[in-house]
Amino acid sequence: MTELTPLSDALLRWLPEQRWFGGKNRDLSEVSTRDAVTLLDGDPKLVHAVLSTADGEYQLLVGRRRELPEHLGHAMIGEVDGYVYYEAVHDTELMGRLLTLIAEDTWVEGIHFAPEPGAVIVPAQRAKPVSAEQSNTSVIYGTEYILKLFRRVVAGPNPDLQLHRALQSVGSKHIARPLGAITDEFVVLGILQEFLQGAVEGWAMATASVRDLMAEADLHAAEVGGDFAGEAFRLGQSVAEVHADLRKALGSGQEGPERLYEAVQAMHRRLDAVLADVPELAPYESALRAVFEQARSGRSLVDVQFIHGDLHLGQVLRTATGWRLIDFEGEPAAPLAERNALRSPLRDVAGMLRSFDYAAQQLLVGHPADHQLEVRAREWTARNREAFCDGYAEVGDDPREQGPLLRALELDKAVYEVAYEHGNRPDWLTVPLASIARITAGED
Amino acid sequence: MPDAPQTGTTDVLGNEFTEDGHLVEPSSDDFGTARQAPREPEWYKSAVFYEVLVRAFADSNGDGTGDLRGLAEKLDYLEWLGVDCLWLPPFYASPLRDGGYDISDFRQVLPEFGTVDDFVYLLDQAHRRGIRVITDLVLNHTSDAHAWFQASRTDPQGPYGDFYVWSDDDSRYSDARIIFVDTETSNWTFDPVRGQFYWHRFFSHQPDLNYENPEVQEAMIDVLRFWLDIGIDGFRLDAVPYLFEEEGTNCENLPRTHEFLRRCRKVVDVEYPGRVLLAEANQWPADVVEYFGDADAGGDECHMAFHFPLMPRLFMAVRRESRFPISEILAQTPEIPSGCQWGIFLRNHDELTLEMVTDEERDYMYAEYAKDPRMKANIGIRRRLAPLLENDRNQQELFTAMLLSLPGSPVLYYGDEIGMGDNIWLGDRDAVRTPMQWTPDRNAGFSRCDPNRIYLPVIGDATYGYQGINVEAQINNSSSLLNWTRRMLEVRTAHKAFGFGTYTELGSTNPSMLAYLRRWNDDVLLCVNNLSRFPQPVELDLSEYHGLVPLELTGGVRFPRIGDLPYLLTLPGHGFYWFQLVPETEGGEAP
Repeated sequence: MTELTPLSDALLRWLPEQRWFGGKNRDLSEVSTRDAVTLLDGDPKLVHAVLSTADGEYQLLVGRRRELPEHLGHAMIGEVDGYVYYEAVHDTELMGRLLTLIAEDTWVEGIHFAPEPGAVIVPAQRAKPVSAEQSNTSVIYGTEYILKLFRRVVAGPNPDLQLHRALQSVGSKHIARPLGAITDEFVVLGILQEFLQGAVEGWAMATASVRDLMAEADLHAAEVGGDFAGEAFRLGQSVAEVHADLRKALGSGQEGPERLYEAVQAMHRRLDAVLADVPELAPYESALRAVFEQARSGRSLVDVQFIHGDLHLGQVLRTATGWRLIDFEGEPAAPLAERNALRSPLRDVAGMLRSFDYAAQQLLVGHPADHQLEVRAREWTARNREAFCDGYAEVGDDPREQGPLLRALELDKAVYEVAYEHGNRPDWLTVPLASIARITAGED
Repeated sequence: MPDAPQTGTTDVLGNEFTEDGHLVEPSSDDFGTARQAPREPEWYKSAVFYEVLVRAFADSNGDGTGDLRGLAEKLDYLEWLGVDCLWLPPFYASPLRDGGYDISDFRQVLPEFGTVDDFVYLLDQAHRRGIRVITDLVLNHTSDAHAWFQASRTDPQGPYGDFYVWSDDDSRYSDARIIFVDTETSNWTFDPVRGQFYWHRFFSHQPDLNYENPEVQEAMIDVLRFWLDIGIDGFRLDAVPYLFEEEGTNCENLPRTHEFLRRCRKVVDVEYPGRVLLAEANQWPADVVEYFGDADAGGDECHMAFHFPLMPRLFMAVRRESRFPISEILAQTPEIPSGCQWGIFLRNHDELTLEMVTDEERDYMYAEYAKDPRMKANIGIRRRLAPLLENDRNQQELFTAMLLSLPGSPVLYYGDEIGMGDNIWLGDRDAVRTPMQWTPDRNAGFSRCDPNRIYLPVIGDATYGYQGINVEAQINNSSSLLNWTRRMLEVRTAHKAFGFGTYTELGSTNPSMLAYLRRWNDDVLLCVNNLSRFPQPVELDLSEYHGLVPLELTGGVRFPRIGDLPYLLTLPGHGFYWFQLVPETEGGEAP
């Protein structure tokens, strides 16, 4: 029993409606609060809760007021005994409390709010939640800080915090500086970082360029004003520098043929699974398997290290001083053991190359086929892939020198995309399928 | 060649010399003095400058060349337009081998422009209208036709023998780059008369003055005093980084160059308060700030300096539909001393200079804005604003709005307010120096002369020809670019924050949007620019101004109140907004 136990029924209705809740497809019959820690008493009151569900554990910050102001109406969870309970991340006043707790290096019943060594936090900053996030929730403080609160409570090392700290220790220029953390004994609950004010997602930058190209259908990608190649080149350099910083901070290794064999087997297994669900993939099966096998024909030893793990244009921000990489959590769906393992940095490169393809194609989705625009989109992708790899090769090993492995990783990623689009956005299925067709035909 | 001047005589060029061989030069006492402009110590911080070529503006005597009296006749137009200060490129006596920057007598006006007395008249008439006037002064070099140089080459032992940088060989200062790479192969040229090489950072007919010689320093400061006594409001100091040379350096921005500028500044502060010095130093902002001098003293060298790298980046940003070229250069621009101001511009009489961009950016700019090879010159692009923007009115407005609202005092280029075109078939930089288009009459109303006699043909093409593009037609059309520009200057003048205010860029997740705040005491201005040709939304974090209302400045419309959520605006392609953030008031209906 915790003080939130009476709220269980309300939570049972509220939880499945939340974007970040992963158990939507399951029958949610029970929610219990494992822990409820009061962070601020009075009215309003702030409670930190860990919810247990059949889908796993979730972190929730609950606010409680006698009367809920109108602007917080949308955050309401339920009403019990004359109190309104609501999701506290929307409450500027209560979120200010979290920053104060971190600034003052505070323990509250096993939860540790701590600044990073050497970081000085100025608590008086107006808080506001970031909308439209998938798996986590973030709160921005003034123009200075951003606090990421992980929704899922997962015991064990947190790659996001671990890699940020490692990169900070070697002075990496391409990250948002970690400034504080919220942890309980085995779990990282939140990370406070430098807020990159005025930064823009790589995706928005790239799609602005594509939009410009598509409006000038008779000009080539290298000819239009909105050319992205310069940015792609610098992005390649930045990713390579982050990889080098990760090696410097956390070391690297080499894996022999056995590990490569395992990796290729994993690609085959993923393909098996997706083929069972998506018949449109069947025509490419043998070509895909051939490319996977070719990956084993390259170098016998593969360099491995800590990597970003889920790199795409949405995970890089353009600031006035260059590109930064964010969210080092790895692929959220992957098991933690995999996210914490040493892997080939080519995985990050492959992820970014796939992302270029998506950026180029996104304006075409849902429109009647237009051959000229398709050609332009492919030119854009080809130009920016090359520029990215050129930039990467300025700093690190040229990823194109390991063509077979890179191609296999890209296709493996495309197979994953096929499954995702099939399940979520059937209109977009053509994007990864067309890429698979091109790559397996040797066109890219 | 003239013989060495005899003492107390006149040489073959008519220059008079004193007993000890010094040139007899005119004194400001020989001329009248213009009335003073209204006293306003930091006027240059909020002024709108207007660069006008005397040759190109108005011809009063019908000889086909614009002149000072002609310019004076057009002051009513400039007052109506709302400019605060005219910048006149050099009008001194000159053989005109470098657009007048090759000065052969600092104390004479080029005869075709008029006389010193005509200049006094122009200045007096301008001041009467509250308009100030500054002009270029080339400190670094003279024309080889200057009497100082002629004396120096013919009489090495005479008083001018050491006025220039002479050497027996051409190997010194080899680390200095050659600036006019198109025309010059060395910074040294051999003079057969004196039998030595002379140093020149620009053209070989422009020998550099020798600032090591204290007499040169005195002589140039006396040139400043000559014009300041007459009443001029300041100088744009041309090519200032190059005054001194030192072995083993690139001979730019040397400490002694700054020392000399501090001397000049002291003369202005003590003897002529309220006048300004503007440095022309085509360098990166981090180097240019050196020309403002000591920050603790509020700046003790130049009051103003041009911000060169901003201009090409405005063009790049709009072509790329991304604010980052602008954000980056402003983020790299250091704070400037409290008494100083940047000068910013879109176009001027030179080409669009691409020295202050990377090689990659230069290739890009050539590809985007100089599609015909004749549009290129030295390291730049020789186009006017309207043709650079393909005559797109929306873009012309967007660029002008940015020019008028970004930090710095804007410098307009004559003719751009009516969207004049250029003529890339004219030589050198003349493409952008054609006559001002006043009316659809003969010679565009610029001159009564025989059209064959005009110094450069007026623009006559179908798009930009004077029959359609001229002041008279646009004054009478309330939706013309001219009337629009005038309205924008009026708005700018009404808000000191544009000139004096702080600058804070407001980020957003839309890379095509450039938004910033200008703030001066209670005056808070919000400027939002859509760099894309497509309509765009932007969400701005204005939480600091919660409860205030954005008041649109050109029309006075009140926008919705700033609330808890990010402030949403939508802009048409290449659109912009200027707002003042004001407290909410009642509707304004009668009670």
